[in-house]
Amino acid sequence: MTVTFLPGAPVPTTLAAAPSFDLEAVLASIETMATQKPVAAQIVSIAGSDDTDARGLARVLGSDAALAGRVMKLANSAYFGMRGRVTSLQFAVTVVGFTTVRTMATVALTDLDDESRLPRDFWRMSTCVALGASTLAPRFGERPQDALCLGLLAPLGVALLHHNDEEGYAELSAAEPTAAGRRAAEVRRYGLHAYRLTAVALEHWGFPPSMVTPLGAVDDLGTEDGALLRAALEVAARLTVEDHEPVPVEELTGGQLRDDAVVPVLDRVRAEAEELRLALLD
Amino acid sequence: MSATTVTAEPLVPPEVVSAIFYGAAVSDTLVLLVAELVGGTPRITWGNEGATQLLGYGLDDLRSLPVTSLVPTLRGGEVRLLLRRERSVRMTLPVRTASGALVEAVVRCTPMPSGRTWTLRLVPADSESERALRATADAHEQRFATLTERSPVPTLLSEQGMRLAHVNDAFCSLVGLQAEQLLGTGWMATVHPDDLDDVIEQVVVVLGGGDGETKARLLRTDGIERTAVFRFSQLFTPGVGAGFVGTIEDITDRLAFEARLEHQANHDPLTGLPNRTLLAEHVAARFRPGSSGLACLFLDLDNFKVVNDSLGHAAGDELLVEVAARLRATVRPGDLVARFGGDEFVVVCQDVDEDDAVTLAQRIGAALAEPVRLGGVDVRSHASVGVTVQTAEHGAAEELIRDCHIAMYQAKAGGKGRITVLDQRARAEARDKLRLVAELREAIERREITLLYQPIFDTADGAPVAVESLARWHHPVRGAISPAVFVALAEESGLIGALGLLVLDETCRQLAEWDRVLGPAAPPRANVNVSALQLDEHLHGHVVAALERHGLPPSRLSIEITESALMKDPASAREVLMQLRGLGVSLAIDDFGTGYSSLAYLRHLPVDVLKVDRSFVAELADGHTEIASAVIALARSLELTTVAEGVETEEQAAQLAELGAGFLQGFNLAQPMTGHRTAAWYAAHAR
Repeated sequence: MTVTFLPGAPVPTTLAAAPSFDLEAVLASIETMATQKPVAAQIVSIAGSDDTDARGLARVLGSDAALAGRVMKLANSAYFGMRGRVTSLQFAVTVVGFTTVRTMATVALTDLDDESRLPRDFWRMSTCVALGASTLAPRFGERPQDALCLGLLAPLGVALLHHNDEEGYAELSAAEPTAAGRRAAEVRRYGLHAYRLTAVALEHWGFPPSMVTPLGAVDDLGTEDGALLRAALEVAARLTVEDHEPVPVEELTGGQLRDDAVVPVLDRVRAEAEELRLALLD
Repeated sequence: MSATTVTAEPLVPPEVVSAIFYGAAVSDTLVLLVAELVGGTPRITWGNEGATQLLGYGLDDLRSLPVTSLVPTLRGGEVRLLLRRERSVRMTLPVRTASGALVEAVVRCTPMPSGRTWTLRLVPADSESERALRATADAHEQRFATLTERSPVPTLLSEQGMRLAHVNDAFCSLVGLQAEQLLGTGWMATVHPDDLDDVIEQVVVVLGGGDGETKARLLRTDGIERTAVFRFSQLFTPGVGAGFVGTIEDITDRLAFEARLEHQANHDPLTGLPNRTLLAEHVAARFRPGSSGLACLFLDLDNFKVVNDSLGHAAGDELLVEVAARLRATVRPGDLVARFGGDEFVVVCQDVDEDDAVTLAQRIGAALAEPVRLGGVDVRSHASVGVTVQTAEHGAAEELIRDCHIAMYQAKAGGKGRITVLDQRARAEARDKLRLVAELREAIERREITLLYQPIFDTADGAPVAVESLARWHHPVRGAISPAVFVALAEESGLIGALGLLVLDETCRQLAEWDRVLGPAAPPRANVNVSALQLDEHLHGHVVAALERHGLPPSRLSIEITESALMKDPASAREVLMQLRGLGVSLAIDDFGTGYSSLAYLRHLPVDVLKVDRSFVAELADGHTEIASAVIALARSLELTTVAEGVETEEQAAQLAELGAGFLQGFNLAQPMTGHRTAAWYAAHAR
């Protein structure tokens, strides 16, 4: 039993002001997506099971030609270093890993692969978060591949809010240049911020706590759970957001990471992000 | 994750409902709570025994507790994520207990149809056993990580494809980079580009479930190249995918050591030149039957023995090193210079014709003729050079080397400092000779060399006192081969030892057989010829063995040695003769008078008989009795007996008797006969 003792932690007794946007529709959309893309939903479901093997996963994946093609493309991309040696879907699943297949299925399930329906630079941001998280993962004792998937899916909530409230979300984003400010505005408008919404969706689809917990803890600087994600988001912001005011990563990571360690990570992410984006999309 | 709508179940009897409620209320394993909207705020309105135990609240305290106090991470409006109106929800959340501690729990929330009341079921996420298992697994992983980290074996760990998740210090040291630079696909840049494909191929095999091993070069940041063996094993994590564990063995030093050993095995340590082994491989690798352009030059230094003998072996070695250097400097790039052995060198060149090869030989001759300062003396080296250029007749690489060797001998035979190109006739002769040697070897092995026996007579009474064994070879195709030819051939080709043993053994066997057949009438003694090359420390043993094998006393055997054989090394010859004499074998000097015997030596040699050469006997017919007379007189003065060979006529026999020859041997007296005929002849003679 994991028990965390927080002496003197404040106990909120009242709810925050009622949000101005009904979240119910967004939550309902998460549940209805599965019926619209059953193969992707099935992959999301079985890829997380310990009973699933590469052969079984490849068999299901094979019935979605577009998704299977993307997995093959990713397996042969420079990111995995296999130089075109991956010629079967089963081997591709083995190379990229089940979590990545599941992540790609989630991308398909949520229409994240349709860039026309996403905020501007959405995938540029996502791939930078993913590569930042993957590159920094060993410093936080995390598996790079899981961190890559977490980074890729983290902005899912942004896309969901954009889908359901395009104008409102665009205004909100424009009014809040900082990440923390935007998240606060999201809480005011929707009752929760975009990463929390991602966490809800991932939990709904059965993703493990290791991927869900950091998303909920992204604003809680006192916990280590969200430290890697915060650092990755900062890396991505430095690379993709104009006029971004850098936030020291020592602050974001509780001192686990120093700013001078970020410089080579920025170089690596900058070099690989576009290639990963092309490998993940068409 | 299907949505569940709770509906009333009208068919369940009230007592069943009561029973279930009672069971749920008092259960300490189930944790159940009921929440309701009270004044717009969701609050706990009921909890069972399990809930009060887990959360530490009394039932009264639990009632009216805001849900947000129970699940503090659902801030702001997030509590609505849990308390959905139309769907049941499952969330993993920290739940706050009365003490303020947070307990990780799976919270399953089911709404009532009214949309204002929810049932919450809490299951602590971690059981004690799960925690213990995880702790054990963590400890295992930590031990593995520590082991790998501190291992001196460079180790890679990939969790996905070629992407490294871990690399130990030993690998970082091997390539001179930090772990951060190697993780992901960064390490691939350290593999030599020409070898990377092989590495990836092996990883493909390993990710597919097999084992992989390959050799690849690693590029260090300091520019140094290391060669390593990569060994891969699959690392499969259920539900995740496949990576690999790679261990790397740096074999650079081992390869260098092996290369040194190989170099030593294939090179002459003195000059550093390739040796015969490498020469043979080099020519074989370039030889294509039917093509042309490959040439071999065989060099033999003409004055090397003089340098060695007069200036010492150190000067000789110095000369060889200088010759090697000059050869290397004179040949074209790509030509091979090898030390064949002793003072012999071979140069191999490609894409040349006969003129080119001869020109090169001349250049080499000129280069070697430049003086070399050895021990304060200027020495000019000259070499005899044999040249062979590949022709259609060359069927194998070794024929090319053999031919240039022959050509060198021809050059040497023609005088020193010459260059000879092996021509067709010489090549044909050489090949013929090689065939004949092979056939002679077979003939000896099959005992096809037969012996004839020629009686030797006492001059005084004409009685046959001995026979001389004479080897004969009847070739199945060429007919009779002269002993002068095949004995010389045997001496040249190292077969003389085997031939000599055959003659010795067969003679003894024949003597024993004659004894059985003829008894006292058998030939009293047999003379066996021994070559100069047999005259060594083994001869005594061979003679003893042959006599013992056939049960004969040593007095039955006489050993004939030519004068020239004795004079090659008179001191050691004397040693051997003394041993034989001690044995009781009699000794004769054959062909006496044809060589250049030192009479002083002759006096000290333990011999019994001088055989007067047939040429001096032949001269008698022309009235020249001087030499035969002198030899016989000399023998007598040294208290030796004489056998006159080649007695062809009655007159010669009479003259020799008159001159005092002790014994006679010749065609006119008795022809050489087979063993069987000899037996018959002796039997008849006895009657």
